[in-house]
Amino acid sequence: MPLFQSDALKRSEAVKRAALGVLFIAALGPRIASATLGEPEVTVQTDVVRAHASIKSSQDRANYRVHEIQLPSGTVMREFVAPNGNVFAVAWQGPTRPDLRQALGQYFDAYALAPRSKLADRRHVQIQQGDLVVQAGGHMRALSGRAYLLSAIPSGVNVGDLH
Amino acid sequence: MASVRALRIGLCAALCVSAIACSGGGGTTAASGSSSGGVGGSSSSSGGTSSSSSSSSGGTSSSSSGAGTGNVAAVIIDQGPSNASVNTLFATVTVCVPGSTTSCQTIDHIQVDTGSYGLRILAPVLTLTLPVETVTSGNSLVECTQFVDGYSWGPVVSVDLQIAGETAHSVPMQVIGDPRFTNIPTACSSAGVTQEDTVATFGANGILGVGPFELDCGDCDTVTHGLYYACAATCSETTVPTTLQVANPVTHFPADNNGVIVVLPSVAAGGASNVSGSLIFGIDTQTNNASGTQTVLTVDQNAELLVNFNGQAFAQSFIDSGSNGIYFTDKSISTCVAPPNDPSSQIVNFYCPANTLTLPVSIQGLNGIMTNNLTFDVGNAETMLNNNFDAYPQLAGTVPAGNAGTFDYGLPFFFGRRVAVAVENDKTSVGTGPYIAF
Repeated sequence: MPLFQSDALKRSEAVKRAALGVLFIAALGPRIASATLGEPEVTVQTDVVRAHASIKSSQDRANYRVHEIQLPSGTVMREFVAPNGNVFAVAWQGPTRPDLRQALGQYFDAYALAPRSKLADRRHVQIQQGDLVVQAGGHMRALSGRAYLLSAIPSGVNVGDLH
Repeated sequence: MASVRALRIGLCAALCVSAIACSGGGGTTAASGSSSGGVGGSSSSSGGTSSSSSSSSGGTSSSSSGAGTGNVAAVIIDQGPSNASVNTLFATVTVCVPGSTTSCQTIDHIQVDTGSYGLRILAPVLTLTLPVETVTSGNSLVECTQFVDGYSWGPVVSVDLQIAGETAHSVPMQVIGDPRFTNIPTACSSAGVTQEDTVATFGANGILGVGPFELDCGDCDTVTHGLYYACAATCSETTVPTTLQVANPVTHFPADNNGVIVVLPSVAAGGASNVSGSLIFGIDTQTNNASGTQTVLTVDQNAELLVNFNGQAFAQSFIDSGSNGIYFTDKSISTCVAPPNDPSSQIVNFYCPANTLTLPVSIQGLNGIMTNNLTFDVGNAETMLNNNFDAYPQLAGTVPAGNAGTFDYGLPFFFGRRVAVAVENDKTSVGTGPYIAF
C-alpha cells in the first residue's frame, strides 16, 4: 500500500506507513508536510532540512492527512493537511516550542499581537483572532499546544482530534 | 478568618525587621494594599520555625533578607507588583555578588513556582551588576526561557542567593530583560508571543523555580532546545554544561537541599487577601520538615502524574504553585460569559457554575500510590473575581483543548495543605525524588 512516493519520504528512516485500513484520499496527492499554517502541503523538504528534523510518520485519516515531525529538540510537531492540500492545523508537544513564526506563517503576527489575558499565569494560552485559534498549555520542560484555522477545518473533522 | 488574620498580624509584627516594611495586615476584603508591601508573618499552620541547628551552616549574613529565619522563608499571596496578580505566591530573596556579603540587594515579590526551575529576576528591579557566565568560546551565555504564554530573554549570571537563613553560592540564575543584551535572536522571539521582560508583563519581580528537578533544561549539555545562546556581536545556539544551566537554587544549599515544603493556610471559600504562609527548605533534614504519614506521589520525567476525574484519566497532569487556578475539562460545567463592555475577555475560559460544585478527583503517582477521598470546589469565577481578593480557592478554568490530557491543579491545591516537593534522585525518609507529598 504505497501511499507516498516522494523522495523525502523515501529517504526518511522514520517513515511508518501506519495508515492501515484507512482510505487513501486521492485528492491529497503525493506530497509531504509543509510546516506553515494555511499554506499548501509543499516545501516540506526545505522545512524539514532547515529544522534538521525528520518525518516520523504520515497517516491518512478520514478527511485529512497528518504528518508527524520529530524536531532535534525532542519536540514532536504534527501537521494536519486538508483534502485541498492546505495545512489547516499544527500541533506540538515536547520540552520546548517549535518555531511558531514558521509554523504559523502569515498568522504569526495575529498570534503575537493577541491581547493578553488579565488572568495569565505562564501556563495557559487560549487565543482566537479572527480565523485563527491558538491553544497552549504545560509548564517548563513540557509544553504543548496547537493552532488551527476555523474556516479551513474539513467537514467531518473533530477539532478534539487535532493534537 | 478572623483568627487567622489576627495571628498573621501578630506574627508580622513580631517578625518585621527594619529592612522590610510590613504591609500592616491590611483587611481581608480590600485589594488596595501597597503593591510593594513586604512579606508578612508565617502561616498559622506552619510547622514552626527551625531550631536552626544545622541550617546556619550556609548563612554568611544570616537572615538579612528579613523574610524568615533558618530554613523557613515567609511567603505571601497578594496582588503583586503589577497590582493584578491572582493566586500568585511570592517570597523575598537577597541576591549578592558572588563572594560578597556587602554587594547585596533584597528583592520582594519573587514568585514561588514549583512548576519551573531556577531563579530569574527582572532587570529593571536589579541594581547589582552580576557577572555574566561565559561558554568555552568566551561568549556570554544568554537564555531564551520559554513560558507557555511568552518568552523571557536575558543573560545567565552567577549569584549568591540568600533566602531565610539559607545561602546558595555562585548559582546560575537569569536576568530577564538585561539592557546589555537587547539583540534577541529571531529564533527566540519566533517561539513565543509576548516578551515577558518587564514587571508589568511578568507580574512579579522575578521567579523562584523550586520544582522537583535540578536544572531548567537537563540535557542542554548535549542537545540544543532553543533555550541557550552564546552571544558576542550576534548570538548562536549553544550547548551548555550542566554546571552553567540555570538551576533550582535549593539544590545548591549546603544543607536542606533535597526539596521544599510549601505551607499555606486554608482560604475562605469566597477568597481572601494577603494570605501568608511558609516555604520550608529541606525534607527530613530538621525537626520542622520531618515527613509523616502523608501521601507520596512520584512524578514522571516531565514532573507529571495521573489524575482521574469524571471517569477519565488525564496522564499529563501536574500539581503546580505557578498555576493560578484549577484547570481541567468538564463540558457539563458552565463557563463564564464575557461582559458586554469587554467581549474578548478571557473570563470565558473560566468556570461560572450557578452554585459552587464539590467534585471528586483522584491523583495517582508513578509509584502507583493514589489519593483517597479527595475533592475540590469550583466556584463562580466572575462572582469571586468581583470581590477583588488575591487568593481564591475555588478559581477554576478550562484546559485548552489541545492539552486534553492535562488536569492542572494549581495554587488552590496548596491551600490548607503542607505540600512537599522532593528533588530528583534525592532521598527522604519516605521516598526518592522526584515526588510530591501532602
